[in-house]
Amino acid sequence: MVRIVGRRPGKQMTPFEFVLIFFIGGLTLTSMVNNDRSFSNALVQIVTVACLHFLIAAVKVRSVWFTLLIDGTPVVLLEKKQWMSENMLEMRIADDDVMAAARDKGLLSLDQIGYAVLERNGEISVIPLEEAS
Amino acid sequence: MSTATSPVRDSVSKVNDELAVGADLNFQRRWWVFERCVWVLFFLIVIADLLGCFGRGYFSHAEIKGPDGVTDIKYERIERFSTPSILTVNVGPSAVHQGQIKLWASGSLVKPLGNQRVIPEPLSSVLENGGILYTFSASARPSSVEFALEPATFGVFPLTLQVPGTEPVNLQIYVMP
Repeated sequence: MVRIVGRRPGKQMTPFEFVLIFFIGGLTLTSMVNNDRSFSNALVQIVTVACLHFLIAAVKVRSVWFTLLIDGTPVVLLEKKQWMSENMLEMRIADDDVMAAARDKGLLSLDQIGYAVLERNGEISVIPLEEAS
Repeated sequence: MSTATSPVRDSVSKVNDELAVGADLNFQRRWWVFERCVWVLFFLIVIADLLGCFGRGYFSHAEIKGPDGVTDIKYERIERFSTPSILTVNVGPSAVHQGQIKLWASGSLVKPLGNQRVIPEPLSSVLENGGILYTFSASARPSSVEFALEPATFGVFPLTLQVPGTEPVNLQIYVMP
């Protein structure tokens, strides 16, 4: 079923797709725990979610506005030694979170960061200062 | 067999003309405003739930006394779909006749409100006037009858309870989905 739903659920998962994967897992359980324990009930629910995902993914490819609505937009957190304070506050991201992502890239301090971007999938991408012109 | 191709267009917006991020800060600012409104709504839902507006809290517990003081009913004004609750009818000694108490309940007790069982077990239950007339064995002391409800549907349902020969007590029960 996951193979049919598509390749996007994986490394590129957005919060929306995270929910999708857990939702399919949860619906699988309905054939075991709910009053209607039939396999057909669980199957129809899972297929319905898969179809909705297909439709949403298809519209997302064609509409920028819809993609913004469903997945949001990347947000710049740090730009050449300047914190984007409004963005940090609104996204509830602390400088420690950015530094954690920087350490993951092998950077030793915040002043080595060129850009830090909060991606649509919730990850913080860090571009070293030396790579930014 | 070759696959269809198209040239790469540099369509992703850039920061400082160098980093292709595709950020849309105008949309993001509007989203933050929307987010704040949704958070206010979420907190209101939690507060309403803690107060019992969705059942099982201060505002959902109710007690009503019959006009002539024979019955005293404790119930949940706000029920939840398919969730068990107890409706208690306390009956005064004046309702006891020949060691028996009769209590009539409107039909809504069974169908929408999903009466599962009656405690104590009635001596008889007879369909009468669009409802059910229960007969219980009782002493002269005040007695109580409990109905275990488990609503089978949601909506607003009137319920009437009456000890024959006294004024009926009308309740309104809201069943949340």
